[in-house]
Amino acid sequence: MKSIPYYLQTALKNLWIEKWINLLTVLSISIGMLILCTFSVITLNLDSVLKQWSKGFGMVVYINEQASKEDEENLKALFMADKDFLEIKYISKEEALTGVRKALGDDAIIIDEIKENPLPSSFELKLQSKLLVPEYVKSKAAKMKQMAGVAEVQYGEQWLSSLNKISETMQKGAIVLGLAIFIAVTFITYSTIKIFFHRRKEEVETLKLLGATKMFIKFPYLLEGLFIGTLGGIISAATIYSAYSFVTLRIGEFLPSLNFSIAVLPVQAYIIIPFAGAFMSLIGSYIAIGRIKY
Amino acid sequence: MIRFSNVSKSYDKEPILKNLTMSVERGELAFITGPSGAGKSTLLKLIYCSERPDEGQITVADQVASKMKQRLIPRYRRQIGVVFQDFKLLNNKTVYDNIALALRIHQMNSKAIRSQVINVLKEVNMTHKAKEYPPCLSGGEQQRVVVARAMVTKPMILLADEPTGNLDPENEKSIMHLFRQINTMGTTVLIATHNESLYSGSGRRVLIIKDKYIDKEIMG
Ligand SMILES: Nc1ncnc2c1ncn2[C@@H]1O[C@H](COP(=O)(O)OP(=O)(O)OP(=O)(O)O)[C@@H](O)[C@H]1O
Ligand SMILES: [Mg+2]
Repeated sequence: MKSIPYYLQTALKNLWIEKWINLLTVLSISIGMLILCTFSVITLNLDSVLKQWSKGFGMVVYINEQASKEDEENLKALFMADKDFLEIKYISKEEALTGVRKALGDDAIIIDEIKENPLPSSFELKLQSKLLVPEYVKSKAAKMKQMAGVAEVQYGEQWLSSLNKISETMQKGAIVLGLAIFIAVTFITYSTIKIFFHRRKEEVETLKLLGATKMFIKFPYLLEGLFIGTLGGIISAATIYSAYSFVTLRIGEFLPSLNFSIAVLPVQAYIIIPFAGAFMSLIGSYIAIGRIKY
Repeated sequence: MIRFSNVSKSYDKEPILKNLTMSVERGELAFITGPSGAGKSTLLKLIYCSERPDEGQITVADQVASKMKQRLIPRYRRQIGVVFQDFKLLNNKTVYDNIALALRIHQMNSKAIRSQVINVLKEVNMTHKAKEYPPCLSGGEQQRVVVARAMVTKPMILLADEPTGNLDPENEKSIMHLFRQINTMGTTVLIATHNESLYSGSGRRVLIIKDKYIDKEIMG
């Protein structure tokens, strides 16, 4: 504990002596983390766009011809009670026919030839967007099909699964990229600290002979790594913040009509980024120092 | 305090010390001498665990130095002050900081460090060079800094490897005076030297290394 000022002083002094290498290391780290942040922002935004789209996602439940009024009422009550659905809309046979008429316009005469209304009544259901997982929707549809009075359940199966695939790919990409950046940042600090430690080999030998503990020897180098990583993180967080502010400002200025909704990195991210940098560099410098043998 | 029994040490199969037995008592001030290459420095290195013996046992203050565990070495070394033959001063630190470093390793607080360093600098006559860096000092001045660093921690044992090799008779005398002073305060002192003038007339034991072991012992 008493040695903390000494460790700090030594670390800062070493940082200053090797300022150019350190600056380069800090910049490399911040670039690495900046790439990761940018990717995260893109992923986040794509995700919010996908969410926006999927708001319109619905299932259509067609009612059996033979179903009674009572069956329909029962179904409606069931759907109302189900928390998975955001919105429930009943479309009667007549309404369905009117809809078709409207769609056909002048050609509606064809329908008039038919004496009996062939269209079934139906329910249009809107699912909560967080439930839009292909497997879940599929099993939900299968279950509903078993209900009394239900003839058919339709939903955009193809669309839903591709939507999910995009989302999944982005997430996997973020993980892979995150891992790659983690290794890169760790390695950058590793090599920098390794060089410093190697240059001061003689000093380290002397410290050992004077009875210094491993911790006493290591601490300044760990602090140095910690400092480099934190600074790299702060720089990338600051850059991403200003870039974001700039972009939103410009969009607001030139395209005020565009009701933009760029997803921001959550506020916590600006704290997490420097910490992540610190953590990665700490690991890098720890490995760089290696085992100290007496 | 320091006890060697049948210690052998060789470098790359080249035997340097063989079946060496000797002891230095608690509170004693003794000399080790012998021609260049006899193994004086090696013997001291064995004491502070910088080298390990091939055979035999070394005990220092009831601790078995020859089998000292890695993790116990730092604490063990902090009981021993060493005046290294090759100084081992850090060139990027001032004289003051070089000496203070030894106390920092001992976890002493800055205030205490300051007064101790100032005191010891006075004792070795180096106060005026406190802010200099070792490369700017003469050999004799560097040597005095090393002596200061070794004694500032008030160690239980002080090992001095050719501590007056670069000194004029005047400074030699004052350093020897310092060693005697430390010795009267209770520190066991062992000085390796081939400088006869250091031990002659001292009235202390002088161990002579010849043919890889302590051949004989005389009174200086
Ligand atoms: N690390 C080493 N590797 C190989 N040989 C060594 C090593 N250290 C010392 N030697 C050899 O061991 C012998 C004894 O060396 P040592 O330094 O102990 O002698 P010394 O008595 O201190 O000599 P001097 O009075 O010149 O300082 C020498 O011949 C030297 O060449
Ligand atoms: Mg020697």
